[in-house]
Amino acid sequence: MNAHEWYIENHTGYVARSLEQNELALFEEHLPRCENCRKAIQEIERDLSWLPMAVKPVAPRPGFTRQVTVSVLDHDVRPWWRRWVEPLALAAMIGLAIGLGVTSRRSGALSSKLAVATEQLDALSDTLGIMQKASRVLQASIKGDGYEGGMMIFADNASKRWKVIVHGLPTAPAGEAYHFWFICPDGVVKGAEVNVDPTHPAILTLTLPQDFGPVYGASLTMERLKDVGSTPHGRELANLTL
Amino acid sequence: MQAVSKQTRSTRGASRRFLSVEQENSLRDRLLARDERALVELIDLATPWLLGVTQSMLSDPHEAEEIVMEAFHIAWKKIEIAPDAEGGLMPWLLRVTRNRAIDRLRAHRRHIVKTKRAETYADYGERVTQPLEPNEAGQPGWHVHDRVQAAIGELPHEQQKAVHLAFFRGLTHSEIAEELGIPLGTVKTRLRLAFGRLRGALGSLKDWLV
Ligand SMILES: [Zn+2]
Repeated sequence: MNAHEWYIENHTGYVARSLEQNELALFEEHLPRCENCRKAIQEIERDLSWLPMAVKPVAPRPGFTRQVTVSVLDHDVRPWWRRWVEPLALAAMIGLAIGLGVTSRRSGALSSKLAVATEQLDALSDTLGIMQKASRVLQASIKGDGYEGGMMIFADNASKRWKVIVHGLPTAPAGEAYHFWFICPDGVVKGAEVNVDPTHPAILTLTLPQDFGPVYGASLTMERLKDVGSTPHGRELANLTL
Repeated sequence: MQAVSKQTRSTRGASRRFLSVEQENSLRDRLLARDERALVELIDLATPWLLGVTQSMLSDPHEAEEIVMEAFHIAWKKIEIAPDAEGGLMPWLLRVTRNRAIDRLRAHRRHIVKTKRAETYADYGERVTQPLEPNEAGQPGWHVHDRVQAAIGELPHEQQKAVHLAFFRGLTHSEIAEELGIPLGTVKTRLRLAFGRLRGALGSLKDWLV
């Protein structure tokens, strides 16, 4: 047997993971260099992909599946804004697809893979642009220890500018600042720092970001000055969805 | 998009008991979109099978549960790397689970596990021919289990044993040789023949179709 025949003989052993540690190491070294072996192994993996189901299913103990769900979602370490930006983007795409009368033939193309959804997002931008012709007023209350304030947004869709009013909040602690963010399909876009004075509302006029798709909503966070970057890292105090 | 496509899917899938390729792809899409209900569905559907895999390899049921939990963590975090080929989600999850269980198994001192394994191995022949309990046959995916069991049942008995120890107990070739008291070369030959036959029998099974 020549050296390469050894690999071929052991393809199934590799897939079944029944090779010894040293043999496995040889394989892992070989595979990146050998397309034939990689292909062969993929085929074996595919052909044997249901083999594990030879084992009888085991009924989980009561409460186990719920425990799994809670554990998985609790450890979801995506930043808070991604947790709702992505479903929102999907919901908007679904709405767009239905609204445009997209047929089932296109359903594959309209998958929720946001990373590759440039075309859909362009179309989405148009749709939400139309929606934005209707002026909106959004409001969120912000309660904390010893204060009760809020944030209001007046969305002027003709000029694509928002007036943002933040009121009733205490001054930011030393080394921190309030920050306003736009929520867009590709993530969060920095709006502005909000200088809060407890005695007067802070009023900002912000132009909607142009290059990140339509704005779905907004968020107010408390950021540490040394951490302020292009995405929020701090505690979210309020969010509003269009 | 999904509401539109469901219409076409429901007519095609009407006669299927559970999880056609289309349904599975929809589940994968929804997982990609971070739909938490899709995660709950996946956990409900896949847990019994994944627990079956981990409990067959690990003697400790708590450890078996841990591995299943880890597999779902991986599924939720890395769903984008699951093959998007048709019907690829469940096999991927099975593979992730089995690999994690093998990693865990190999991280242990094996002699303890081996002792327990020898006990359970005696049950294997019975398990293959055990009559189905009525509720088991209604388990989503049971028809796949049936097909796979039938394919294994077609193998000569000594090949069944080798496959069982390699694939379902996570032993290496040399461990199987030791367990069965046969030469290493014989183990490799039996496994190669057995997996070759199983590929022929199962390669067309792409789906959870009834
Ligand atoms: Zn090769």
